[in-house]
Amino acid sequence: MSDTDSDSEEVRTDGTGIVPPDDETPSWQERKARHEGLSRLTYEYFERARREDQDLRQQSSYVERDVLAFPTWPHEMIRNLALVSFFVGMIIFLSAALPPHIGPPADSSSTPAIILPDWYLYWSFGLLKLGPLNPDISLLGGQKLMADRTYGVLANVVIVGFVAIVPFLNKGAARRPVEQPFWGAVGVSGIVFAFTIAVLSVKNLIQMDSHLLFDLTFLLPIVSAFLSYAVLRSMREGYMFNLNRRYYRLRPPK
Amino acid sequence: MSLKPKDEHDHAGWMKERELTAIEEIYLTALMWLDKRFRIVDYLEILENLYYKVNFQMPKSHTEQYNLDNKFWYWYPLYALGSFSTIAYVVAAISGALLGFYYAPGAGASNGEPALAYNSITFIMTELNFGFFLRSLHRWSAQVMVAAVFLHMLRVYFTGAYKEPRELNWLIGIVLISLTMVFGYTGYLLPWDQLAFWAGQIGVEMSLSIPLIGEWVAQLLFGGFTLSQATVQRMYTLHVFVLPFVVTGIIAVHIGIVWMQGIAEPH
Repeated sequence: MSDTDSDSEEVRTDGTGIVPPDDETPSWQERKARHEGLSRLTYEYFERARREDQDLRQQSSYVERDVLAFPTWPHEMIRNLALVSFFVGMIIFLSAALPPHIGPPADSSSTPAIILPDWYLYWSFGLLKLGPLNPDISLLGGQKLMADRTYGVLANVVIVGFVAIVPFLNKGAARRPVEQPFWGAVGVSGIVFAFTIAVLSVKNLIQMDSHLLFDLTFLLPIVSAFLSYAVLRSMREGYMFNLNRRYYRLRPPK
Repeated sequence: MSLKPKDEHDHAGWMKERELTAIEEIYLTALMWLDKRFRIVDYLEILENLYYKVNFQMPKSHTEQYNLDNKFWYWYPLYALGSFSTIAYVVAAISGALLGFYYAPGAGASNGEPALAYNSITFIMTELNFGFFLRSLHRWSAQVMVAAVFLHMLRVYFTGAYKEPRELNWLIGIVLISLTMVFGYTGYLLPWDQLAFWAGQIGVEMSLSIPLIGEWVAQLLFGGFTLSQATVQRMYTLHVFVLPFVVTGIIAVHIGIVWMQGIAEPH
């Protein structure tokens, strides 16, 4: 095709070949609208969404929260810049004052008494020591369904998985812990558990009966959950009272 | 009737039929003169926008609802944790690139004799000018980054910032915090001292105990079921080549989404 075309019509490169738009020429909107398949669908959806947005805005009587978020630029950024430069100074100060230690070179024949990852992996290291919780299944004759270490690795997956699905479990407009004592308590027990499991991971360094330590690892988070639930719950009464009073003073019921 | 097209925007006539003071008249004349040439009206929206950005106030209802009038400043540091971790990441990237000039991965026989990796760390710490500071900076910024990331997650949790439009960013954050820890772990192994070796041993055993794909993971990440030269080399490649690209990309997406959605209330 292109061969015969170039034979019959010379390609003009001086710009005179451009046809000015007339009534027949589709506008850009028409060009966009005329697409088929997925792009057509996308176009139709965006048109609908835009119309819907407009309708909703016109119908809405929702006046009290016209800004739903704090703008990132410039407010958050400028504010952060001041705080962040202070903290970079702190990093530089720390690294000048406290250079890291180098241990003896790697030796596969001598296992050191203390093996530890960096501090931020203690919780994960602690989860590897959950052997006693691995159930013996009576059907298998007191045999364990999986090795203790497999159990420990799976515990990591369970913890991370639970944290990941939090937004899908906890819905609604409440933001503060006072407004949602249950989830506040879950968070507090999570923090406490991260610490207790980290202590469990170094149980050979702790001067305490290891069974007691193991029990405390799970009891302390539960106790702290109950405590924080009680505190948040009793705070909520006063908090909601103030919130409602302020709300109805501003917008008295008709 | 005049054939001359009528000027719909007869600004001069409009000015005349109003009673203006001399100052107003001079001001308007100057404004119109300038506007005719520079079309200031086209830029008004930008100026207005700028004005409201500079003179910003939290919406009344919000400050009322949470009674924040004079006291939201003391939450600021908690809202800067994401920035801290990003900046610490940048500091770690720069100091890490400089460290890369002097570090070489090499495990040797791991029999208590210092090998290539260990020797290059020793060189950096003892002989290289400001080498100790460089390594120290790298390590501390990594520590600060991890700490800031954890606290950032707690802040997001306790202010409910993961809710409705932001679930996806929460998931991306989970991926990022995990990758940060992998970053830390791979870096922890690089000096190839005793701690690194035995932490690597635990890592291999952990991967081997993953059901079904355990051996494959151990082979992929550690280059075998026992620690060797391949382990250090793979950790090094992950630490300086794979993870930087992946993590930087995901951080960009994470921050991009924050930028689009704004910072979640309340403060």
